[in-house]
Amino acid sequence: MILKFNYVIMIILMMLGLWAMIAKKNIIKKLIGMAIFQTGIILFYISMGAKSGSNIPILDYYDRYKPIDAAQYANPLTQILMLTAIVVGVATLGLGLTLARKIYDDYKTFNEDEILQEIKNEHD
Amino acid sequence: MLLGIETLLLILVLILAVVSLWIRDLMSSVVVFGAYSFLMCLIWTGMGAVDVAFTEAAVGAGVSTVFFVAVLFNTTRRIQFNPLDLSAKIFSAILCIGTGYLLMLGLSDLPSWGDPQALVNTNVSKYYIESAYKQTKVPNLVTAVLADYRAFDTMFETCVVFIAVLGIFMLLKKDGREPLKETSAKANDNLIIRVASRFMVPFIQLFGLYVVAHGHYSPGGGFQGGVILGASLILVAMAFNIEFVKQLLSIKRMLLLAVIGVIIFAGWGLVPVFLGQSFLDYSAWAALLPGTGEIMARSHSMLAVEIGVAITVMCGMYGIYMSLVSDGRFDKGL
Repeated sequence: MILKFNYVIMIILMMLGLWAMIAKKNIIKKLIGMAIFQTGIILFYISMGAKSGSNIPILDYYDRYKPIDAAQYANPLTQILMLTAIVVGVATLGLGLTLARKIYDDYKTFNEDEILQEIKNEHD
Repeated sequence: MLLGIETLLLILVLILAVVSLWIRDLMSSVVVFGAYSFLMCLIWTGMGAVDVAFTEAAVGAGVSTVFFVAVLFNTTRRIQFNPLDLSAKIFSAILCIGTGYLLMLGLSDLPSWGDPQALVNTNVSKYYIESAYKQTKVPNLVTAVLADYRAFDTMFETCVVFIAVLGIFMLLKKDGREPLKETSAKANDNLIIRVASRFMVPFIQLFGLYVVAHGHYSPGGGFQGGVILGASLILVAMAFNIEFVKQLLSIKRMLLLAVIGVIIFAGWGLVPVFLGQSFLDYSAWAALLPGTGEIMARSHSMLAVEIGVAITVMCGMYGIYMSLVSDGRFDKGL
């Protein structure tokens, strides 16, 4: 358990994000919860690719022509998956913020309950 | 690998996440979330993921905080007080704790933290580390894997950024139905901000170009450099006004550039198809680029596709900010 502390934190962060997405009434808070969920997943990947006592995955000038020991460099594969995920994450966050902005333009509130009430009033 | 500093940082990150969800003021919540992203970037540096840390510092702590502020500035930062609706909160808490418990049960199957012999760190990743420099002459293994071995992935991620910008444009576009509000087109009257940003912007842009071009040898590349270039334009838009930055890069030209970035990437990958190789197999470029062997052709091709990525990401960040801050009207900013 103590050796897998990073995964424990990852699970707690993900559940915190999930809870915020379900339970929070404010749309912006829901978006923050989504971003926290995303960082939890990124933490999972990056900490799986970490190796104790390893270097960053950039070859040193003197090591380039020697045979390379893979255990000396952190895993580049998990890193590139998450690198692109972060940039795509901010693009989708922008899309989410746009939807929040549209909702605010129509209902003048970010609160979920009030939006539902307004929709109900429109139907009646 | 139970390093003291990283354990401490992980606990701090957890506290900041809770605080960011707890605070009853949206602007403070967003700022705390920016601090959370920055601590995350420290953790990733500690785990040897410098490229990811660079991206997180530019994107998570920088640009996404600006996006949140751009929305909150024109709407409201207040959270309405709700009568305590405990039943829904407790129900979702039980749901999340249950899911968390199930995930915890799976912990025993995961490799321990920092194990070099774990399954993730052996098969294909070992091949990349051992042969990337021999095959491409790029010391930064992350760039080599990003732009060459897994270029398909990167190409479609670039497309996703472009599609997200298009979606934001479509959603917020005002096609003249609503009357234009009174525009506050006069320049920002804060002299210190204007003068300071006038000095800073050229250096930020130079650094952005360096990050794009030097991604082969140091942390960086198209995504990070593109975000930095986009942030420099956002800084101009904040310090002066939107009319001024629109003269530098108009909205139409921005969309066109975003398309061009994707086309550079896909087109560069398409050329090898006409030379009898498979899609995105850069070694075929050796026949077209003078004075290069197959290895150097791959290295140069990486620079080309990184430039395409940088152009699309720059225009993407700029376009998202401009749409969000002016609500699709492009007439006034912060």
